[in-house]
Amino acid sequence: MQVRLTINGQPHELDVAPHRSLADVLRTDLAMTGTKVACGEGTCGTCTVLLDGRAVLSCLTLASACDGAELATVEGSTPLLERLRAAFTAHDGFQCGFCTPGQLMSAVALLERTPQPSRAEIRTAMAGNLCRCGAYEGIEQAVAAAAEAG
Amino acid sequence: MTAKLVKTEAVVEGRTEVRWTLVEEDDTPEFEDGDATRPIGEPTPRITARARTTGSARFTVDIALPGLLEAAVLRSPHANARVTSLDLDAARAVPGVRCVLGPGEGPEHDDSPLSDTPAFAGAAIAAVAADSADAADAAIAALAPEYEVLGFVSTLDEAFEKQDFLVDPTEHERGDPDAALAAAEVTVEATYTAPAQLHNSLEPHAAVADWREDGLTLWSSTQAIYDARAAVAEAFGLDPERVRIICEFMGGGFGSKFGVGPQGILAAELSRRTQRPVRLVNSRREENVAAGFRTPAKMEYTIGASKDGRLQAVEASAVMGMGTGGWAFPVLEPVKSVYACPNLRLMVAPVRQNLGPSVAFRAPGVMEGTFGFEQALDELAEKIGIDPLELRRLNHSESDPEDGKPYTSKRLLECYDRAAELAGWEDRDALRGEGRIRRGMGAAGQYWWGGGGPPAYAEVRVGKAARPAVTVGLQDLGTGTMTACAVIASERLGIPVDSITVYAGDTSRMGHGPFSGGSMTLASIAPAVRSAAHHVRTEILGLASEMFEIAASDLTLEDGEVRSVDGTLREPIAEVTGKLGNAWISGSGSRGPNPAGMNVNTFGCQIAQVAVDTGTGAVTVERVVAVHDIGRVVNPMGARSQVMGGILQGLGFALMEERVVDPTTGTVVNAGLEDYKVPTIADLPEVICEFVGEPDPHLKLGLKGLGEPPVIPTPGAIGNALAHALGVRLREAPYTPRRVLEALGA
Repeated sequence: MQVRLTINGQPHELDVAPHRSLADVLRTDLAMTGTKVACGEGTCGTCTVLLDGRAVLSCLTLASACDGAELATVEGSTPLLERLRAAFTAHDGFQCGFCTPGQLMSAVALLERTPQPSRAEIRTAMAGNLCRCGAYEGIEQAVAAAAEAG
Repeated sequence: MTAKLVKTEAVVEGRTEVRWTLVEEDDTPEFEDGDATRPIGEPTPRITARARTTGSARFTVDIALPGLLEAAVLRSPHANARVTSLDLDAARAVPGVRCVLGPGEGPEHDDSPLSDTPAFAGAAIAAVAADSADAADAAIAALAPEYEVLGFVSTLDEAFEKQDFLVDPTEHERGDPDAALAAAEVTVEATYTAPAQLHNSLEPHAAVADWREDGLTLWSSTQAIYDARAAVAEAFGLDPERVRIICEFMGGGFGSKFGVGPQGILAAELSRRTQRPVRLVNSRREENVAAGFRTPAKMEYTIGASKDGRLQAVEASAVMGMGTGGWAFPVLEPVKSVYACPNLRLMVAPVRQNLGPSVAFRAPGVMEGTFGFEQALDELAEKIGIDPLELRRLNHSESDPEDGKPYTSKRLLECYDRAAELAGWEDRDALRGEGRIRRGMGAAGQYWWGGGGPPAYAEVRVGKAARPAVTVGLQDLGTGTMTACAVIASERLGIPVDSITVYAGDTSRMGHGPFSGGSMTLASIAPAVRSAAHHVRTEILGLASEMFEIAASDLTLEDGEVRSVDGTLREPIAEVTGKLGNAWISGSGSRGPNPAGMNVNTFGCQIAQVAVDTGTGAVTVERVVAVHDIGRVVNPMGARSQVMGGILQGLGFALMEERVVDPTTGTVVNAGLEDYKVPTIADLPEVICEFVGEPDPHLKLGLKGLGEPPVIPTPGAIGNALAHALGVRLREAPYTPRRVLEALGA
């Protein structure tokens, strides 16, 4: 199937089989391996990307259903994403970094919707993104700091 | 630089290893009291942060080479079976399939990871490599296996009853435990049950193999690039120098990724046969049935003490559920080595079950053993009627209670005192409350190794731009070792951390370095890095001395500048190194042995505060105070993150994590993350973390490890807090709402 996507502001035209996930197409066809897959069944949040501004699990999203969509991934560069990167760095919001792309995209979705979230709102919005290294304290502080800096 | 062979002993997760190692002469000065050490001891963000936050960090699962084949594995759905039919030809006929390996096929010099008598649900039977993941999956389906289903054993009790031991049971005695127990004024008997905890590193076990005429390159998500190299070289009869292991970035391991694993062996064999690069990545469910677990254990303690609380004797036994692999993790070590107790009998029975192989999981044995014993001690304190921390102080041992050797340092008493102060321990009874929500506070101590040792080698190079490169033969599984190496080098070179690059995770770059485990990595490599950086410093100062005609002893390197001690000269270091043209200065360093005749251990105390909803049974960990004795802290930011991670994994073990096996089929019913619960950001407690004290006076740089210590006391402290809150003790983890309500008789 022909699929037209705008990814981080760049237009792409792809020919993809209808059953393939967005995560697979990003990683395999476009070599955009920043988006990670840790469970492949929608339970860990690692593969989170933004589809028309909403956080979605790219492992459960069919690429073929995204025709015409605007996609944002961790490879992008926006002022908000840069702010979050700096805050995750300053607050040690990761250890191994495997979950970080998904954490960052969930945080972007939260702060675009709710620019000044409470700590409880941060926890609710980020609760679907697992971090097995246990960097949650840094993640929470980083999201709060990025909101404040905005 | 002259080098000599030395014999050293290192304790690796409780096992003593004797090693011969080549050590270079080292004239690097140790820190004296009052010396500036910066940036050592200052919070430093990770040098890998940019790569990790932009998606440019390459993990093994991301490696794609031209002509890459995707591999998949057929796994048994049965806990014990014999494969009676397998259609290998049908799999080979699937379009796009390049190779199919059947049972028994594999490397020439090692057992095949594939078997037609799978002994657990998830055991590998066949493997395929194909042009795409879809084609590989289709080939797996085409294999159409048929099985004769056999009987199986899955529970600890059944396995023990059958007396089927994976590793020989052991017995250890000190003194005369029978007489001492008979004479004891107070005795406590308690049985604790620890669950099988699943690692769930977010990056699955993965390998990408590229077998070529001139050698094998294997990207491996491994905690030990050199052990991986040795294993592959041996399995395939290759010269280790022709095997290159690469692990650039790694998505966690927590003990489950030592060596190369079956995925590395299978990827290499498939690549050898197809002459194409092959990638093999476990699915999450494969991870949780076949890639290891923390051994579940049933631990029975009989403690005898005097009525004032002095331990007289402990008899302890543990049945450990090994599944089909693993070693006898030191589950009764906390009984043997933490407290002064003259009489002991310890028995460990590691049983075989039709479950995947157990593997090390962050403080293997010791965490679950601490969970049991530190709670049994609280039961004793309660029976005698003394403060649980006072009981621990009373039984403190200044030297190792087993072999009598002195410790290089032991500040456990300070840990108790400081943790109690920070937690408000004295007022803990006022927390409890009468209503639906009850609160409690509980403490537990920790004991671990983590002194590190040789072999560990490092190289530091500086070229004209004065942007040093540190090369180390290790891998960073996410703990921050590379950043710590940059910090160590920065102190000697006077060049800021953000101007330093650290190369790691590649056996072709550097000599042998430590594995990432046992809390030994940084304590092993840091002295080697510092020594290498010191050699470079000496050369830069020598050059500067000639350039500026000032004695080298009157010059220093600081903030990227060469400075004279009288303050008259301040020039960028790049002014000096700029004269190098295309040459560079390099220095190497190696890790010397730890002092003989002394034991190196870390110690600590954690105090947890919990709130229990007696209506729902839900337990919330509100706060954890963690005070550890780990010697010098290189990077307080990274150290705090290690503590947070250990606490969260311990919290998961205490409250929610448990592999559940269906007793009627022997299969794991919660292999996915929807059903196997790990802590989320919503479970994050407030954490107060401090490190007591001083650099260890007997160790290079004064460093001890921190990877394991924070996980060890967490579940025991939570259990003690829960008992304090409820006045009822729960002896089987995890403390789920169902178990809490049952304990309350609801």
